[in-house]
Amino acid sequence: MNENQTFFRATIERILADTVGKAELDHAEERQLPEAFFSVLVENGITSMLLPEDTGGIGASLGDAAIILRAAGAAAAPGPLLETMLAQKLLASSGLGPAQGLLSLVFINEAPGLVGSRWSDAVLHDVPWSQAVEKILIVSRSGNEARLLVSDPAGWTTEPGMDAAGEPRDLLTAEAIDVTSANCGDYDSWLCAASMLRAAQILGSAEWSLRRSIEYASERKQFGREIGKFQAVQQMLAELAGHILAAATIVEAAADDCHPTMIAAARSRLGDAADAAIAISHQVHGALGFSQEYALNSRTRRLMAWRDDFGSVLYWRRVLARQFTGLSREAFWPAIADAGATVPR
Amino acid sequence: MSAANLYLERPALTPAAEDLREEVRTFIAEQRDSGALPPPERIGLGFDVDMTQRIADRGWIGLTWPRQYGGQERSALERYVMNEELLAASVPVGAHWVADRQSGPVLLKFGTEEQKRFYLPQIASGNCYFCIGMSEPESGSDLASLKTRADRVAGGWRINGRKIWTTNAHRVHYMIALARTSPAEGARHAGISQLIIDLKAPGVTVTPIISMAGEHDFNEVLLEDVLVPDEALIGTEGNGWNQVSAELAYERSGPERWLSSFRLISELVDVLGADTQPSTQEELGRLISHLLALRQLSLAVAGMIEQGKSPNIEASIVKDLGTKFEQEAVRVARNIASAEDLVGNGRAPRLRALLMHAQQYAPAFTIRGGTNEILRGIIARGIGLR
Repeated sequence: MNENQTFFRATIERILADTVGKAELDHAEERQLPEAFFSVLVENGITSMLLPEDTGGIGASLGDAAIILRAAGAAAAPGPLLETMLAQKLLASSGLGPAQGLLSLVFINEAPGLVGSRWSDAVLHDVPWSQAVEKILIVSRSGNEARLLVSDPAGWTTEPGMDAAGEPRDLLTAEAIDVTSANCGDYDSWLCAASMLRAAQILGSAEWSLRRSIEYASERKQFGREIGKFQAVQQMLAELAGHILAAATIVEAAADDCHPTMIAAARSRLGDAADAAIAISHQVHGALGFSQEYALNSRTRRLMAWRDDFGSVLYWRRVLARQFTGLSREAFWPAIADAGATVPR
Repeated sequence: MSAANLYLERPALTPAAEDLREEVRTFIAEQRDSGALPPPERIGLGFDVDMTQRIADRGWIGLTWPRQYGGQERSALERYVMNEELLAASVPVGAHWVADRQSGPVLLKFGTEEQKRFYLPQIASGNCYFCIGMSEPESGSDLASLKTRADRVAGGWRINGRKIWTTNAHRVHYMIALARTSPAEGARHAGISQLIIDLKAPGVTVTPIISMAGEHDFNEVLLEDVLVPDEALIGTEGNGWNQVSAELAYERSGPERWLSSFRLISELVDVLGADTQPSTQEELGRLISHLLALRQLSLAVAGMIEQGKSPNIEASIVKDLGTKFEQEAVRVARNIASAEDLVGNGRAPRLRALLMHAQQYAPAFTIRGGTNEILRGIIARGIGLR
C-alpha cells in the first residue's frame, strides 16, 4: 500500500466508524440510504475520487478506490458507493459532465428497442438503489464496444426488489424512455473495473467475518472453556484464514494493475473464499449467527449478494480458462508466471 | 491483508530476478532441445546427478550463499524465481534439493566456520547431497518424542536409533539427524541436537521403503553405535528443536508445495486444446485461479524471507493450501479427462500415465513435511486461538 492508500484507508475507516452502525444497516433494509455516510463521502470527494482533477475529482486510481471499498465491505456499508464512484468515471470518460449526487449502475448485454436516444419497451433488472439516486447509468454491450446510457429515475416504472443483503435492487420498466448516450470504450474493460471493485468489497466483508469469528471463538465458552480451544474449531478457522489470505493476495494483485487475467482469477478465487467465509463463520457462531439481530449476517448476506455480481464466479472462471486453453505444455507455465505482469513480456 | 495477525505484502520482482528467469528458461529450452528433459510421465522431484551437475555449473545451487562458500550472493526472490521455473518445467532437481533448500542454510546459520568451509562449496558444486533425519517409527507429527540418542564419547558422539521416511538416504552422502543428547526431563523440546552423519559410516544400514506409487524414494535408516566426531554437532548442543523450527519454514513455504503436480495440469492443457465445454472451462478456470493466488502468496512469503522476516504462519498457510490444491488438481484433471474423453482408447498415453501416477502419489502431498492438521494447529495459534 502506498502513502496515499494508507491515507485513504484511515479516512474511510474514520468515516465508517462515525456514520455506519447497526441502525444504518437496519434502515437500508427498509430502502433508506445512510444519509450521513454519503453526505460525508460526497463532502470529502470520495464518491468522485476517480474523476481527473480538472473535472473536480482527485485523479485517484481504481486501486485507490479498491482500498475504500474493502473498508466499506468490512463495515457492510449499504448504498450505491461502488456504483457512484465508477459511474462518475464513466461519465467523464464519455465526455458527459459529472453528476452532483449518487448514481446507480448496471451492465447489460443488449438493449433491444433502443433507437437513437429513444428506448422503447425498456427493461432493467436488479438496479441498485434506483429510487435513491440522481441518474441511472447503463453500460450496454455492442460488440466489443460499450455504449453508456444515462437515464432519469423518474422516467421508469419501478417494481421494488432486493438483494440477499436486503438492499434495494429494483425491476425498472418503461414503454418509452429518453436516454442520453455516448460511446465509452471497451465493454469488458469497464466490466473488469466494476468486478475488481466488487472483489475488494467481497474481500472486506469476508475478512470481517474471519476476524469476528476468531474473536467470538475466544469469547464463547462451552464445556468450561472457550470454543477456540477445541481443535475442531481451530481447524475450521485455520482453513478460513488460508482462504482469506490467498484471496487477499490475488485481489491486491488485481487491484494494483487492473489486469483482466488477475481480475478474473481474483473473482474466481474469491468465490471459494466467500463460500468458506459464509459456511465457517456461521458454523463457528452457532445459532447466534443465524439471528438477524447479530451483526454476522450483515456481512455474510452481502457475500451472498455480491459473489456473483458484475460477472458470476463461473463466468470469470470461463473467462480465465480461455486465457490458457490452447497452449502447449511448454507454453503453459510461462503464461501462468507472466500473467498480470505490468510490462508484457 | 491485516485480518487476524496475517500480513503479506506483494514484492516487486526486480529486473535481476526477471533476467534470471530468462536465463533459466533458456537453460530449460536447451535441455529440451538436447533430449535431456523429455516430458515426464511421473510425479516427483527426480534424482539425476548429471542434471544437478549442469545446474551447479550455472551457479544455481547455493544461489543466495556467500561467495566465499561457493554461493552467488543473489536474493531469496531470485532463488524463488529460479526454483519455480525449474519445478514447473519438471527439471529433475531431487539430488541437490534438500542440501540446497535446507541443509546448506542450516549450516550457514548455525554451523561452525569449518563446517561451512567443508560442506557448502561441495554442495554448491553439485557434488554433495543430504537427507533429513527427523521422523522415526514412533515419532511422526510428534517429533519431540524422538528416541534416537547421541551419547558423549571421547572425541565425539555415539548414535543409536532408527530414522524412517528418509528420502534419498540410499543415494546421498550425509544425513542431518535430530537426536536426543540429554534425557527428556521437564521441557520435552530441550536436550535435542542436530548432528551430521556420514551415511558411509560403520553402523549405518539403509533399507528401502517402496511407496504405494511404486517409487523407491523413502528408506528406513538404522543407526547402530554410529560414531561421529565432535565436529558433527551443528549449532549448540540441546538447541536442536529451535534450529529445526527455523529449518521447517524453508521446507514449508517453497513453490515445490504447489508445483509438484503442475506437470499434470500442463499436460492436460496441452491435450485438451482450445475447444472445450463450458463446464471444463469452469473447472479449469477455478484451478488456475487457485494456482495464481498460491503463486502470489508464495512470492509474498519469499519477499518476507528476503526482508529477514520469519513468516512461519504464512508459510504454513502456503503449504496447507498448496498441498490441498495439488490433490484438487488431480481430481480436476481426472474429471476433465473423463468429460472431454481425452484418455480413452489409447489416446494421450502420457496424460494417462501421469494421471495414474499422480493419483497414487497424491495422498502424500498433505502428509510430507508436516501434516496439514499440524499446520492448521500452527495457523490457529498464529491467529490467536489455542
